[in-house]
Amino acid sequence: MVDTSKLTTEAVLTALRQVKDPELHQDLVSLGMIKDLSVEDGRVKFQVELTTPACPLKATIQRDCERVLRALPGVREVAIEFGARVRGTKVGAGEVDLLPTVKNVILIASGKGGVGKSTVAVNIAAALAKHGAATGLLDADIYGPSIPIMLGVEEKPGTVTVGGVNKMTPVLAHGIPLMSIGFFVDPGQPIVWRGPMLGKALTQFMQDVHWGDLDYLVVDLPPGTGDVQITFSQQLKVSGAVLVTTPQKVALADVVRGKAMFDKVRIPVLGVVENMSYFICDGCNKRHFIFDEGGGERAATTLGVDFLGEVPLLPQIREHSDAGVPTVLRSPESPAAEAFLAIASKLAVKLALSNARSEGGIRIVA
Amino acid sequence: MAVEPSPVEVRKLAAERSVAVTWDDGHESRYPWEYLRGWCPCAECQGHTDARRFNPVSGVDLEGIAPVGRYALTCSWSDGHAAGIYTFAYLRSLCPCPTCRRP
Repeated sequence: MVDTSKLTTEAVLTALRQVKDPELHQDLVSLGMIKDLSVEDGRVKFQVELTTPACPLKATIQRDCERVLRALPGVREVAIEFGARVRGTKVGAGEVDLLPTVKNVILIASGKGGVGKSTVAVNIAAALAKHGAATGLLDADIYGPSIPIMLGVEEKPGTVTVGGVNKMTPVLAHGIPLMSIGFFVDPGQPIVWRGPMLGKALTQFMQDVHWGDLDYLVVDLPPGTGDVQITFSQQLKVSGAVLVTTPQKVALADVVRGKAMFDKVRIPVLGVVENMSYFICDGCNKRHFIFDEGGGERAATTLGVDFLGEVPLLPQIREHSDAGVPTVLRSPESPAAEAFLAIASKLAVKLALSNARSEGGIRIVA
Repeated sequence: MAVEPSPVEVRKLAAERSVAVTWDDGHESRYPWEYLRGWCPCAECQGHTDARRFNPVSGVDLEGIAPVGRYALTCSWSDGHAAGIYTFAYLRSLCPCPTCRRP
């Protein structure tokens, strides 16, 4: 007969203090991650509130919790549920938060065009959504707003009145709220605006969209280091940026430029994603490194930022994009989807980490 | 890359007509309004050459000071001028204290 009378919530909490979050390196109790703890007749039940639903370490945390609790005298049963509350990482930006209901804003950037930045943005957003996070997508690529095509969207945004103000509602694409600068220009027409006009239009565009509550907003920037990047860094509260590249030298030179730009405006670079890393030939099943091998990782190491992962060059990624369904949703078991899901997890963990360490921003007393 | 200092607190001191900045490395800076305005970094005040110049403007009041993104501050002045974006690095380089001014 197990004596369950001595088992108290305090004893359980003390035991759980031995379990550390593998990424944050602090114990679950101090991090406030243990919720709804009940101890009744030897039955221990609680919820672990993760910092992101995309957390790849659920299994480790579960195993560690069970191990310490099973060692406690009087424990008969352990029931652990997992929940997630994404915390905000937006720091120190302009006076007004243009996106108050969005917890994390992630800029997807590249030093040059043609590296598959939009494809990566779409699939990262789909992967975060698939992991269970409320995720939106903002297509700010004024030169080639291609995301509506990649998500098979033909309808236009609607309108809604919020607090007496008319706002636009994003289009839902496979459950992901999407806004694109492309919704407001006629197909086949370019956006030919000078910088100041562009800045104004983008600010307006950000202000006038009713996103609702989002854990993550993924922003697809135009390539390069120009006006749009400046507007975003000045006007938006941003959590960080992801640099997308292909492996060859010419592309990597531009990664360095992209990093330098974000350093100037003090937006943290969350990591580098290498796209088109290799092609697997269906005849020989061998990896062919068409654009050189390992360049993205080398660039990340040189720049002192994280390497978030590599995405293979596969015809199906392009086919799925052209058909309007991201690979992550169309064939979630494929190697490409797995790569994107892993990248999204790493990114979410990185944001949770930077949030845990984030400085308080500036206090202005005027 | 070495992390450059960021302000943790920016305080407008109306009585002294200056701005007090506390930096995250512990340094304290005091910028008189006229000094800050004279070193306004905007293109109108500085032109497009590399040389920095001091453009004296007297009798202006500092009306507001606000962050720009996460890298700079901007000041608005009583004569309507508000174009200057003072990056943290630039602001720090302007610190008039004897320690910073020593060559």
